[in-house]
Amino acid sequence: MRHTNRTGLSIACGVTAAVLITAGCSGGDTSTDDTSTPAESEPGYLAVADSSLPAGGELDVQTHIDASVATGLDPQLADLAAAWQLMSLVYETLVTVGPEFEIEPALAESWDMPDDTTYVFHLRDDVQFSNGRAMTADDVVGSLERQLELGSVWTGQLGPVESVTAVDEHTVEVALAEPYTPFLAALANVPASILPMREIEDGTLNPETEMLGTGPFVVADHRQDVSWRFERNDDYWKQDEPGVDAVNVQIVPQEAARIAALQDGSASLVTLGNVDSPALLQGASDVSVLTQANTDFYYLMLNSQWEESPFTDPRVRQAVNMAIDRAQIADVALAGLGHPTGVTPAGLPGACEPGDLPSGMADLDAARELLAEAGAENLTFELAIFSTDPAPAVAQVIQQSLEEIGVTVEIEQLEETSWNGKVYGEAPGRFDAALSWFAGYADPGMVTKWWNPDAAGFNLGFMESDAELTGLIDTVNSVPQGPERDAAITDLCAAVEDDAQMVPLVTRPSMVGYRADAVSVSLHADEGYGNPLRLLSEARMVRAE
Amino acid sequence: MSGARPGDVSGDGTSGGGAPATYPSTSEERRGVRMRIAHLTGWLRRLDWLSRCGLFCLLVLVLAALGSMVNLGGDPAEIAGGRLQPPGPDHWLGTDNLGRSLLPRLLEGIGVTLLLSSIAVLVTAVLSTALGIVAGYLGGMVNNLVMRVVELLYAFPSIVLAILVAAVVGPGRPAAMAAIVLVTIPLMTRLVRTASTSVAQRDYVTSAVVSGVRLPRILIRHVLPNVAGTIAVQGTYALSVGILVEGGLSFLGFGVQPPQASLGVLIQEGGVYMVAAPWLIITPGVVLILAILSINVVGDGLRDRLEPRETRSLR
Repeated sequence: MRHTNRTGLSIACGVTAAVLITAGCSGGDTSTDDTSTPAESEPGYLAVADSSLPAGGELDVQTHIDASVATGLDPQLADLAAAWQLMSLVYETLVTVGPEFEIEPALAESWDMPDDTTYVFHLRDDVQFSNGRAMTADDVVGSLERQLELGSVWTGQLGPVESVTAVDEHTVEVALAEPYTPFLAALANVPASILPMREIEDGTLNPETEMLGTGPFVVADHRQDVSWRFERNDDYWKQDEPGVDAVNVQIVPQEAARIAALQDGSASLVTLGNVDSPALLQGASDVSVLTQANTDFYYLMLNSQWEESPFTDPRVRQAVNMAIDRAQIADVALAGLGHPTGVTPAGLPGACEPGDLPSGMADLDAARELLAEAGAENLTFELAIFSTDPAPAVAQVIQQSLEEIGVTVEIEQLEETSWNGKVYGEAPGRFDAALSWFAGYADPGMVTKWWNPDAAGFNLGFMESDAELTGLIDTVNSVPQGPERDAAITDLCAAVEDDAQMVPLVTRPSMVGYRADAVSVSLHADEGYGNPLRLLSEARMVRAE
Repeated sequence: MSGARPGDVSGDGTSGGGAPATYPSTSEERRGVRMRIAHLTGWLRRLDWLSRCGLFCLLVLVLAALGSMVNLGGDPAEIAGGRLQPPGPDHWLGTDNLGRSLLPRLLEGIGVTLLLSSIAVLVTAVLSTALGIVAGYLGGMVNNLVMRVVELLYAFPSIVLAILVAAVVGPGRPAAMAAIVLVTIPLMTRLVRTASTSVAQRDYVTSAVVSGVRLPRILIRHVLPNVAGTIAVQGTYALSVGILVEGGLSFLGFGVQPPQASLGVLIQEGGVYMVAAPWLIITPGVVLILAILSINVVGDGLRDRLEPRETRSLR
């Protein structure tokens, strides 16, 4: 555990930040732009690429942030959603996530569960790494063992893995110490990628500086914080994919610049953060904007560990939690595209009902009483936020709703690097409160694990573990789906608000804009891993050259 | 610069300019005040019509800023209506992306921008004057030292310098002010120094030195009043530069912090909605242009009044 924490510090920004960093990226539930509906989409999809178009051509993409320099190009260390989206073009996982968060086959074509702690994966026999070597069970075993030893942010998400063994060349067995419901969903994310272990072990590949995976693309060029060029992997196992010869990704932090690039055609696909971008691009000919409803959600960190923070008193935290008007954040700051949520992401099957929680009741008198009891009637605190849209808008709505109970919020807006330094840079973190978002993943239990700081590591600087909460988190993650788990999830949601060291707010929508006259794309209506580029290999150029 | 008469500016006792400071304090206070007002109006009348328009605009902006202090038009941070509503009877200038009325935000923005820039320019004026006069009068090593440091600052593009300051101090009003000061100091110091150098060679300064007047008194009584015109003129230019720098910094997110508005913040927020909600950028944009134009025009007028030698020779 200590190991986790140590590595965790640099990674701290881990998932959390991962999370925050894509804050400008992916897409959401329904498009508000009528012109953007591409033909008839399948259920669970906002768009489906037209596979009758010829393959070939180059796709120009712009996104707002590059993978982190700190963790390099190693997917198992990657802790930012921004990194996950780019690395997913090169690396693949055993299983993946479908349009409605169901677990689908990827490098494993099927799997069995002889009992509730054993998973047997049957690997595809036609998968090669982009250097031409066939992927074997040894690569899978080695990769999972490497992740378990790394102690990265994702190690905890893999759960109580006891052993990983190769049964034969195409079969891998994973034994868990106890049942762990989100196991497959945890395997579906980029940090659980299958790496070419033979090359890593014999030293011919350094995964921190080079990328060699089984995915649809290979890296042809990368300039940090400037651009990527991905070229097609000719030996890719999925037939007819990738649909384009190359993907050129430019890192463009300014939202306005990405919008302009889309309008003038210099980019065919861009990730967008502004919740009004569908409206802003309405009328731009051939431009479509799709909004993905993510399971990601914004949350507030209320620092209980720094002695100068007003939130060392749980009553003050609870009052703030109760008084924040989630519905207003969703309607005003997120233009109606977000939804109030508990700690299990709203919209995910099995999640708790946020309206039943203290935060859903909006009982301002009770909040005032709590503040009075704590002797904090005229509370003023500083809220550290990063400047990526729409975080400033969310913060300003929080400020307005807390004014109702006489609490003054002073917003401190920083760019993301400084924000990361302030929040995760030291322990205890020297801040009162901070705003960020978590990826919500595909199983309601996964994100709740960050509420146990001893396991998560990155948030030890501003919160401490609570035995009751930790017990509930373990229950939720070990009980199979069903009424018992639903009850545990309801209890967990309430316990999180009672603890209130990290307070869930609203889900985070995200947008993808593309030129319908240049490219035909596939996009899920829902996304849980901050990856709008998940189906990029299906994209086809309308005017392939 | 050469051959000019000394003591062109009032306030210097030795040149007998008849400045208010020389009135004996025993004379009637009221008469003094009346004379000062008469002096001011006469002085205003001698400004050209363009400068007077500029002065009028500035006055309106200052009144608007004062209005924001009494919440004229409403609470600027309050979520008062629907999002992105066009100008109408409820919200005269429309609402922004959080449903806040633009009018009170604009008034607040004018106040924040003017106040911030003015304070910063006052600081600049004090520092630059002190540095410039000392360097210009003493010359030699002091002059070299001051001017090289100033030139170093001058070498940086202003916005880069401003971002550097914001990065070190952390974003917010102090950073914006510090940035404006650093950006405006070089030019002002150079000009004050140049003016002081020429004043230092005047006969009345030499007489003062020969009479045994001490250095601080020479600088304050003889040099300062004669470079005051330069300071006033440069001050107005620095003010417009300050407003621009504040706008640029806030535009980049290093300026004032939300939800406080400044003209730069409003333009930055409005820029995103240029197509869907053009009122969000047009109004603050026009006000910013107006403010900078007015200040520059007033600066030109002041220069014509206070530094007539240069301008007349140009005409």
